Amino acid sequence: MIHGVLIFNTTGVPRLTKFYTPVHQSIQTLTQKLFSLVCSRPVGLCNFLDAPELDAFLGPKNEEGDRWRVVYRSYATLYFVFVVDGAESELGVLDLIQVFVETLDRSFENVCELDLVFHFDEVHHILSEIVQGGLVLETNIDEIDESVQNMARLRKESFASAYPLSLGGGLSPRNGPLKTPLGWLTGKFTGVGTR
Amino acid sequence: MWERTLKDLIRGLRANKADESKFIAKAIEEIRHEIKTEDMELKAGAVMKLIYLDMLGYDMSWASFHVVEVMSSSRIHLKSVGYLGANQSFNQDTDVLMLTTNLLKKDLMSNPADIGITLNGISNIVTPDLARDLSPELIRMMNHSHPQIRKRTVLALYRVIEKYPEVLQHAISRMKEKLEDPDPGVVAATINVLCELTRQNPEEYLTLAPALFHLMTTSTNNWMLIKIIKIFGSLSPHEPRLVRKLQPPITELISTTPAISLLYECVRTCIIGGMLQGPSGDSLARTCVSKLAAFIEDPDQNLKYIALLAMVKIVPTHPHLVAQYQDTILSSVDDQDISIRMRALDLVSAMVDQTNLQSIVQQILSHLVTDTTTTVHPTAAQSLTQHTIPISPNSIKPHVPPTQSPAYRLILAQRILRMCSQDTYDNVTNFEWYLSVLVDLAHVANVDVGDEIRGQLVDVVGRVRAARRYAVKLMHTVLNDDAILRNAHEEGSCSEVLWAAAWICGEYCNELAEPQKLITLLLRDEISHLPPDIIAVYIQAALKVFGFWAAEVAQRWSEDDLQEVKDTVELISSRVSRFVASSHIEVQERAANTVQLFSFIQADLNNHRPRHDALAGTTLDPMEEPSFPKSLFLIQPLFSSYELNPVAQTAQASVPVPEGLDLDAWFVSPSVVVETKFEKDESKTKKSKKGKGKEVNGGRKAKSGSKRREEDENSNGIVLTPMTAEIETEEEKAERERLRAERLERLRDDPYYIMDKPLPQQSSTNRYVAQEDVDAIPVVKLEGMPSFTEPEPGPSALRNELPEGPVEPYYIDKVGEMPEGAAQPILGTISSSQPPTSKTSRQQTPVPSLVPPSPFPQYEVPGEDTRPSTPDPVKVTRPRKKKVKKKSETVEAS
Repeated sequence: MIHGVLIFNTTGVPRLTKFYTPVHQSIQTLTQKLFSLVCSRPVGLCNFLDAPELDAFLGPKNEEGDRWRVVYRSYATLYFVFVVDGAESELGVLDLIQVFVETLDRSFENVCELDLVFHFDEVHHILSEIVQGGLVLETNIDEIDESVQNMARLRKESFASAYPLSLGGGLSPRNGPLKTPLGWLTGKFTGVGTR
Repeated sequence: MWERTLKDLIRGLRANKADESKFIAKAIEEIRHEIKTEDMELKAGAVMKLIYLDMLGYDMSWASFHVVEVMSSSRIHLKSVGYLGANQSFNQDTDVLMLTTNLLKKDLMSNPADIGITLNGISNIVTPDLARDLSPELIRMMNHSHPQIRKRTVLALYRVIEKYPEVLQHAISRMKEKLEDPDPGVVAATINVLCELTRQNPEEYLTLAPALFHLMTTSTNNWMLIKIIKIFGSLSPHEPRLVRKLQPPITELISTTPAISLLYECVRTCIIGGMLQGPSGDSLARTCVSKLAAFIEDPDQNLKYIALLAMVKIVPTHPHLVAQYQDTILSSVDDQDISIRMRALDLVSAMVDQTNLQSIVQQILSHLVTDTTTTVHPTAAQSLTQHTIPISPNSIKPHVPPTQSPAYRLILAQRILRMCSQDTYDNVTNFEWYLSVLVDLAHVANVDVGDEIRGQLVDVVGRVRAARRYAVKLMHTVLNDDAILRNAHEEGSCSEVLWAAAWICGEYCNELAEPQKLITLLLRDEISHLPPDIIAVYIQAALKVFGFWAAEVAQRWSEDDLQEVKDTVELISSRVSRFVASSHIEVQERAANTVQLFSFIQADLNNHRPRHDALAGTTLDPMEEPSFPKSLFLIQPLFSSYELNPVAQTAQASVPVPEGLDLDAWFVSPSVVVETKFEKDESKTKKSKKGKGKEVNGGRKAKSGSKRREEDENSNGIVLTPMTAEIETEEEKAERERLRAERLERLRDDPYYIMDKPLPQQSSTNRYVAQEDVDAIPVVKLEGMPSFTEPEPGPSALRNELPEGPVEPYYIDKVGEMPEGAAQPILGTISSSQPPTSKTSRQQTPVPSLVPPSPFPQYEVPGEDTRPSTPDPVKVTRPRKKKVKKKSETVEAS
């Protein structure tokens, strides 16, 4: 079973945290610990994090099969980390990360870290088309992408029907969600937009 | 009030990096207002912001009710926000989950998109109550027309079953049907769920084997095949016929599949199912190992990792196959990747045998040594790779090599100890080497393994006679080592090795040529900084050394020695007297004892008047007043009357029951037992006032187990001695009351009397008395121990005159000492229960009374006349017992 999916960048800022099994520590400390272990590994090493510190941290499991393993992959400025147990195949999870990233890439068209920052809800929706409750739902990228597009379209239509006058909008990628006139003004006046 | 969207929040966060907490506090304040509005859009926006902040570590559980409000929106773009909030923030204790049952039921009836969101949500937030209430719907929905929904339902059911296992029996038949679903995604999801379920409860799913077997032979989906093979891995131990059926297809898969992940699973399942045994299995094993070995040498580190993982599984049954690749495997221990190192370490420790132990241990030990130097100079490759990753300035930190991490060092050190001590040092052929490894380890480990090293040192010296001489020499140098002494208080200094050094030098000081020099070493001023338990051992060791040396001096007494003896005694008393006021009871008591003993010796020495006849000291006529001060013989017998030997773990249980001891007889007359029982009942009810407030009857029920057993025995009619009638006369009752009041009075002020504790211990535990009576164990010298034959030119610090030297091969006293006259059948059980014995005794000093009585060999009390042993006459055993006891006490404490 997959116990957790994390995305954080090379400075350790979380971009997505999703745990399917309750963890004993706060998710933030767990993220920090995983980050410190993962980022200290030079490139070219294997994608399985098997550090002695980890067992103490993830809770020692008596049986070999129950041990939590950490499989990660780094893409540009992001680390994708899956925490799994013995029911998952290590290399299979590695492929799954690839599937996840490719799906993100299709949805966002050349995904970059900022897409994940501003559309973290969309990332959650995409993940929910791949993994549900810690079990793999679908591994075929085309199928996943189709469901993702379908759901995004439905949300967009729903938003459009609520705001018939809004331009585009919806929660779909690259379109500002819930842009109320006031919010839009705020953005204009304060000028904090950094994109 | 400004209403910000999530985007604004994120932008604000990015712009206010310097004052983030203030900005967030303000944002949360705004959210608190927004979330209470009637406007669903605004509410959802607020929830969205909270989810984002939740990821950064800001609690959102307070908003759970508003999350449910958003979940109930009919618009899908809002509903999905609500469900996302619930997925991320709800847990089993979230109280509003009670309110969601109907909402979830309604959403499950809605359009496919809503159902999808809902099923995903159920997977995340389900509680036992929700599971119970929703399970009928979910089971029905497994036949939904939409494959997407069937898929999600199957997965959601797993979480439901997890929370509410009763669902399983209703769901399992549908689950079986889903294995033949037309949609491959549904089949894969079902396999996924079954994989989880079979791992927990394999026997229940054996009936699925035919369907799974069919899928295995027809499917080409590697992802699913891996899971199916995993399921078979769980099933095959419970169904031997399955193994035979699986062998051909799995062999086929192993030889054809290019996917190592699948290969790894096949290998694993083969091993679990025992498919690698027998002639056909052997060739299969050979195929596996050669395939895996190729992967180990693969440049892809991931394949290497998995191959090592799989090799570990094969080693126990086919060590010779893996041994061919020993060099490759050993080089993986040096891999720069710590993950691979860990796996290689696992593999290497599984492969270890007599021939390769030394080289493997040296290699691991070198990791602990060399890496202390590489901290300062990271290799060029390391610094290069570091800069290939774009790292923002604030994250640059000194790169710590993996081998520097304390957790890794601890694992290395423990691995070394475990490899060597495995099966009571089965793999160690040279104990001098091992002892020096232990000392080296103490020096370089820099982690907290001192305790284990100490245990091993003492255990080796106790079990391997031939190693004692070298051990004493080695430990002498350790005692001389100022560095350890100086760092004793630092973490990871392994100062416990000093404990072992002092103990070994003290116990076996007869190996030293000039033991008196050791006293000065043991009682240096610096030792006062050591941990108290070590100081105690130092004092004790000094005492032992003096005892040995003084006796030796007395044997060859000449008046010239008097001054040296006086000086030594003076030295010991003055040095030790500093510890008399120690705040640690152990140190204080030992110091006080020593000072008192030595004040006696001192007085005797001062009274000593040399006799000037030529024969002084040469004859030891007991009738004549000896020429040497008699007090020189005061200390030695306290320590050396009996040699310490490792004790077999079952020794305690094997002590024969002395003749004339009837273990089933009452110790106290039954009337007293009855009385105490009543009393206990009453005190019980008194005490349990705060509890269930039971009546006297209830109190009787709540008795301790021993008591209950006694009662059972009574009710079964196995009354050993007739009980007094339950109905007692007035007189008896009055008498009993009086006795009881008397005793209660007596015990009231006794701090050691715990009311609830069952008083009549003897009556309930009398069958175990034999185990608990430590003094009753007659300890004897073992005859037929290997003797030291060859004299060795030994180092100067050791005494030469004793004809001792290492005997080849080293004899390890694995079995340990057994009591005199242990019954034969019990000896049989000892040899069979040898592995556990060696395993636990490894950590212990060979002290008789420390060995816990083994719980399993139930000692059957044979009839008195059939017992083959004869107990020692009282006259002989008693002084022995005394001495032994003293000995064991001192050693135990030291």
